[in-house]
Amino acid sequence: MIQKKVCVLGSFGVGKTSLVRRYVQSIFSDTYLTTVGVKVDKKTLSVGTQEVTLVLWDVAGEDDVNAIRMTYVRGAGGYFLVADGTRAETLEIAKSIQSRVAAEVGPVPFLLLLNKADLQESWDLSREPVEALESSGWTVLRTSAKSGENVEEAFQELAKRMVS
Amino acid sequence: MLDLPARISDWLLELVRSRHEVAHLFVDGEQALVDAGGNLEHYGLTGLAMRQPVCDQLPLLEGMLPLPESPFLLQSIGMPSGRVADIHFFADEDATWIVLLDVTTEHDDARKMQQKAYDMTLLSQREARLIAKLEAAHRELTLAHRELGESREALLLTHNRLQKELRNAERYVRATLPEPLVEPFAVDWRFVPSNELGGDSFGYHWIDPEHFAVYLLDVCGHGVGSALLSVAANNTLRSGALLNTDFRNPEQVLEALNRAFPTEKHADLYFTIWYGVYHRPIGRLRYATAGHPPAIVVSGPNSERGTAHTLRSQKGLPAGAWPDSQYRSAEFTLVPPARFYLFSDGVYEVSRPDGSNLEYTAFEDVLTRPVPEGKSELDELLLFAREFRGDQILEDDFSIVKMTI
Repeated sequence: MIQKKVCVLGSFGVGKTSLVRRYVQSIFSDTYLTTVGVKVDKKTLSVGTQEVTLVLWDVAGEDDVNAIRMTYVRGAGGYFLVADGTRAETLEIAKSIQSRVAAEVGPVPFLLLLNKADLQESWDLSREPVEALESSGWTVLRTSAKSGENVEEAFQELAKRMVS
Repeated sequence: MLDLPARISDWLLELVRSRHEVAHLFVDGEQALVDAGGNLEHYGLTGLAMRQPVCDQLPLLEGMLPLPESPFLLQSIGMPSGRVADIHFFADEDATWIVLLDVTTEHDDARKMQQKAYDMTLLSQREARLIAKLEAAHRELTLAHRELGESREALLLTHNRLQKELRNAERYVRATLPEPLVEPFAVDWRFVPSNELGGDSFGYHWIDPEHFAVYLLDVCGHGVGSALLSVAANNTLRSGALLNTDFRNPEQVLEALNRAFPTEKHADLYFTIWYGVYHRPIGRLRYATAGHPPAIVVSGPNSERGTAHTLRSQKGLPAGAWPDSQYRSAEFTLVPPARFYLFSDGVYEVSRPDGSNLEYTAFEDVLTRPVPEGKSELDELLLFAREFRGDQILEDDFSIVKMTI
């Protein structure tokens, strides 16, 4: 069995903790509870015949004052960038984080998750910037921690990329 | 290093240990755990096995070793026990010392502050988005309102032009109507077109010195089209322009009209008509009707309530509706003093604002009332209809002709 560190990164309030809770514990709460520092969790899954334990680092979100500490991403085998589909500005923050993380850990696999897909009527993201990222090679998934849409698939996909 | 006496340094060390639940791990160059101590249980680190890979026992260390720099700090890390620790890393040649200090209190305080700040920020962002949406909606509404105003103005112009044309058509219809007569008997009338102008018209004239024709027709529908057909049919009667027709014979006249104005050649329009001929020397009124309401004769002097006689006859089909329609004349003898009324259905088919209709008997009652000197029951009837309707403008043309014998 192999073990991989995975960081979940993004602006504050985009649903990082909810995504991890949905994936690890299969639960969701509408109540927003902010994260300070890091919550570490783990879950084992199979990639083909290979068992992989993901050590999930749910890192406190970035805001105007506090940037994500790069010490947290050290040793990560992959990472998620999470943006909130109802807040267009969180996509820009995700792009900014990606450039810093890439400088810290190198070209490790990552996925961009556009979360809160269940709030489609309040969606604030236009298609163009997302399509531009996809054109540049990013993999983008629409997820909902509330409904579970694409959550399992996202972790499975990242795990597959980390062990391949 | 602080240049402090040993007793103070010891006190400081004790302070840190008591407040921060110090625990430590020592990991060799192969990343195997070789020593551990302090309050490990406080962090949920129990059952640690020496000489075994540390990352398997403490997954949060995955990827952290060997140290790229020293000392190295990971702040506010959630531990298996639920406590929160600052984790300090110190290189010792190939080996690494890991020191855990509890910062749960500081973490919780920071979290409360951050929660409030983020709640406020999210709220203000949501408010800003809502305001932006409201402003966008307001801009759209303003634009729509302006466009609506422009459409309304154009519509008003068109409406005014149409109204003007309708009033011109009404003037034309009115110009074709005969003047009231005084001798040898009085003939009077009222003609009040509806707002849309209906298809009513009427006429009367001497066919010869003994025979007096009187007629009233009502084309289906409203508007200029109906009025045009009405005027055309009226002119035909007035000018006697029906070939091989004895205008003293009502059934012949209606049959000729029916042939002359077939609906397929007149924009699918047809009309009802009452046509009568008064033979004055003998007082006989001969009449026929093509789908038109019957006329009424009220006998008796004006000063008393009269007796109403409804002039019934075989009610043929409206003129123009069916090419082979046949009509049959009936007769009534007018014995003076009497008043003869010929009218369109718009005179008595009047509805209240609540939708209820005027009863025919009420209409008949107005006609049979005594007529005060100097007043006309035609005006009384028009006033009655308007009051009943609750509006000066009636739904249909109001047309009535009165002969006083």
